[in-house]
Formats: sequence, structure tokens, C-alpha cells
Amino acid sequence: MTNVIEARGLTKRYGRTKAVDHIDFEIPAGRIVGLIGPNGAGKTSALKAILGLTTFEGDLRVLGKNPSVDRAALMEDVCFIADVAVLPRWARVWQLIEFTEKIHPRFSREKCLQYLKHTKVTLDHKVKQLSKGMVAQLHLAIVMAIDARLLVLDEPTLGLDILYRKEFYTNLLNDYFDEQRSILITTHQVEEVEHILSDLIFIQEGRIALDCTMEEVQERYMELMVPPEKAETARAMNPLFERVMFGRHIFLFKDVARDQLESLGEVRTPNVADLFVATMSGGES
Amino acid sequence: MKRLLALMKREFWENKGAFRTTPIAIGIIYVLGLLMAVITTVYFDNEFHTLKDAIRFIAEQDEGIRTRILYEGALSSAGLFTVALGFVVFFYLLGSLYDDRKDRSILFWKSLPASDTLTLTSKMLSAMVTAPLIFWLVFVATMILLTMIASAIVLVVGENPLTLFVGAGNLFKAWGLILASYLANSVWSLPLYGWLMLVSAFAPRIPLLFAVLPPVVFAVLQIWIDFLKTFTFKDNLFGVIGEWFANSPLILSGDAHEGSGPGAALGIPITDTFDHAVTIGNMLDRLFSYQMFIGLVITSICMAGALYLRHRATDN
Repeated sequence: MTNVIEARGLTKRYGRTKAVDHIDFEIPAGRIVGLIGPNGAGKTSALKAILGLTTFEGDLRVLGKNPSVDRAALMEDVCFIADVAVLPRWARVWQLIEFTEKIHPRFSREKCLQYLKHTKVTLDHKVKQLSKGMVAQLHLAIVMAIDARLLVLDEPTLGLDILYRKEFYTNLLNDYFDEQRSILITTHQVEEVEHILSDLIFIQEGRIALDCTMEEVQERYMELMVPPEKAETARAMNPLFERVMFGRHIFLFKDVARDQLESLGEVRTPNVADLFVATMSGGES
Repeated sequence: MKRLLALMKREFWENKGAFRTTPIAIGIIYVLGLLMAVITTVYFDNEFHTLKDAIRFIAEQDEGIRTRILYEGALSSAGLFTVALGFVVFFYLLGSLYDDRKDRSILFWKSLPASDTLTLTSKMLSAMVTAPLIFWLVFVATMILLTMIASAIVLVVGENPLTLFVGAGNLFKAWGLILASYLANSVWSLPLYGWLMLVSAFAPRIPLLFAVLPPVVFAVLQIWIDFLKTFTFKDNLFGVIGEWFANSPLILSGDAHEGSGPGAALGIPITDTFDHAVTIGNMLDRLFSYQMFIGLVITSICMAGALYLRHRATDN
């Protein structure tokens, strides 16, 4: 299986601060990867490097190309949706479609119109007349009509209400994703993407804090919930993280035998948000 | 090529107001101006005496003088279009690599497979060709309309419009020269256009300030230092820019023929570097000059800088 993205020692500096600090990772084809990190962790800098929107140090290959040199050629195979506000406000819908059709060799006008049929967006609308949700639908329709190999989403649902957010990911999964395509998503809303992700990358202060598949998460990480009297025993087993909820102590363990934990209390797979909090607050990966 | 045309069409869509509505508005002003003049005349003179006398006076003139007045008039009649075109192109270029950074739509444009070089080319060509061509087309349409209205009035008064206008003035030649002067000026103005695009790619905000302030500060310093050294004013950037403008192949009114009163001239006839008579040869003279060569060097430096900045540009 070939890698869609390969990064070796990827670094991005702004003056003296390193937004991305010498990171290595690879993204194989046919995966949906969540790039997750707190504000200012370097997510957007990493994405911009991948998309050829900024210069960087280190070695970065996207579909075998160097994005900072070959952006235009790369964009024939890579699609990109930043948060909703990037479609030009002066443009009419038909103008965007006509323009994309002439610029992009893999764009299908029929597909795009078909997706738009299910929305309230009409060809004569100006982008500035559309609501945020409708702009997101329009952008998604344009992008899904492009037969690309990598789709990059940067906080795609920021500012959308819950109905549009659900619909956005449903459309993406049902109509777009297949084994040949890869999707890279950054988001704050971990809860709404965790069920579609196949891989997780946590990034913190420009470095990778966690890089694993969702299967690995299920195999290796466990959350144990115990009453206060058993907390001391659990604490002795060297958990990654501890929190208290409704008087119960919740511990996060990595690579600990399941039956050992089950003897103490209720064991379950942690959700990504809890894993994220645990990882970010000092736990090693 | 297909992509370049698509990009240029995109520029037209975005700048319809400046590129198309502006010249149409000026055309409407021309037509309304003529209609108002006619209505005013008729209002005070419903027997058309003054109008008849005026037209007869013109018709009785020597053919040579009549031809010249109409020809020079036709050359000068684009004045308002020319000035407006200058402003439109100036502000278009100033925003060309700035607006999409400001509204973040650069993220959409850069997500499509069009190279930065092609994007810059399309913007430069829009300033050099699209805008002047539209202005010229609307100008010619306006002139045809005005000629028709004027002919109708002449007919009403009982004279033959063919001998008075169409026969006498070589309108088509004048209009052709105006188009040629627009295109020649697009080449002549390349250093300015390049500078504006560079500023547009660079400016973190208020590109106008970044475009105007550095040359002004530079020129003022030059003048000051010159004055301290010699107590005279010598060549400085203001002088260079002034001379560049006075030498432009644009048809601006001025005294082209000594002592013969105002007429149409290329640029402003205050310099003697080039001949200011309105001919294609004189336009080409400017485009194949040493000055133009320096201009092209400046243009290349500016465009290389603009391309470098555009390559790195994202939203911020």
C-alpha cells in the first residue's frame, strides 16, 4: 500500500517559534485520519505545508510530489475545504461551477449539480446571499464532484449548526469515501468525527503526541471506573490519567491486561476526547 | 490557454462593476450631456435659428479646417473614458493580489490546479487588455450613438449630416488610434502595473498607502538632499515619474502644434524626448525606446517579487 503523505523532519518556523517541530508521520491510502490538537498546536501549519500554502523545512511528499514546488499539479489530485468562509463572496454559484470545470480536469459538472439538487442552493445565488450552512453544502458539492485522491478538511464544520454538521459528514462518508481515497481532517469537534476516523494523530506544541489507528486505541487503551475506596489500588497500577466524575474515579490505562482492570470496576474503551485530554495533560504517548 | 482564459473571465466577473459599469456610466453621461444641451437650445430657440446658424457656419468652413477640428475632437472625445480607465486599472491592480488574501478566498483559489504564474499573468492581462478593450468598445458605441443623435438634429435643421460629420471627420481612424494608444499605454505602463502588483502581493493592509508612500518619501528625500548640496532642484523621482507620464502614448489633450491652439497629443507635449503627434509610429517609438527597456527591467523585478510573495501567500 502506498502512502499518500510522507513527512520526515517536517518543521515550520515563524521567526523563532517552531509551529511544527521536526515531525515524522505517514498517511497510507484509503484512511480517514484525524489531526487533532489544541489551538496553536501546529495543525493548520502542518496542513498548509501539505497543501503547498506555505514554505517548510524537512522532507514532505504528498502523492509523491513536493507541495511547495508543485502546488498546481498537486491540486489535480488533492481537494481542500477550509472552514466555511473561503468561497469568494462576490461569485455566483454558476460562475464557481463554470470556473472549476475549466480549471480542474477531474471535475464533473453533472455530479456537482446532482449534489446541489438536494440543497436550497440555486445556480443564480451569490455566495454572499447564502447562509453559512448553504455555503458549506456548495463547497462540499464542488469538492465531491472532483475525483481526487486526497481530501483535506480544516475545521470544515466550524460555525455550522448541528443539522448541517451531521449531514456534512454523512454525505462525505456515503458519497465520497472509498478505498482509493484518503481524508485528512482537523477539528475541535472530536466527538462528531471519532466514529468515522480510521487513524488518530494528536499534535501538541508542534510535536506528535500520539499516532495510531483506531483499532490500536481500542486494543491498547482502557478506561476504568471505580468507586473512591478502590481508587488507591487503581492509582498504584500507573494510570496515564485520572479524573473524578459523580464521585467515581476514572482512570485511563495503556497496555494493561483487561482482566486485571475488570476485577476493580467497569472497563470500557475511552472516547477520543478523553484520550485527547489525557494525552495533552502530560501523559506520554 | 483554456485555463488562462478561464482565469481572465474570473477577473472580469469579479470586477464587472469597474470594468463594465464604469464605462457604461460615462457613456450615459455623454449621451445625457448632449441631450441636455439640445433640449436647452431648443427651449430658448424653438425656431432653431441659433442651431441653424451654427451648423451652417461649420458647413461653410474650409474642408481642411473642418476635417481637422472633427478629427482632433474625435481623438480628444475619449478623455473621460481614458481618465476613468486609468483609475480603474490602478485600483484593480492594487487589489488584485490583496483582496483574496483579505477575504480568505485565496484558500479556495489555491485549492485549484492553476499555478501562481498563470494567475499573475491573467491579472496582468486583465489590466492590459480586458479593461482597455471594454472601455474602448463602450466608447465607440457611445460615439456612434452621439453621431446618430447629432445627425438626426442636423437633418431636422435641414442640412446633410453626411457632409458635415461622417464625410468630413475620419472618425474610424481616430477611434483606431485611441485603441492603439490604449494598448501601447498598457505596455508603456508596465513598470507602474508591476509595482502595483508587487505592493498588492506584499501589503499587510491598506495597499494604497504602500503604493504611494515609498515613492513620495524617496522623492522628497532626494529633493531635500539635492537642495542641501546645490541649493537647486535637479532630477528626482517626481521628475522621472512626471516625464514618464508626459511621454506616455496615451492621447491627452495638449498643444500638439505650436501656436495652433489646443489639440490632441500623445502624452503631454512639454518634453522633447519623443514626438507628441498622434500617430502609430510615435506610439511604437516609445515602446522600442531605451526608456521602455528600463521600464521592462523594473517590471520584471516587480513581477518576480510579486510571484515570490504570491507563492507564499495564504490567508492571515
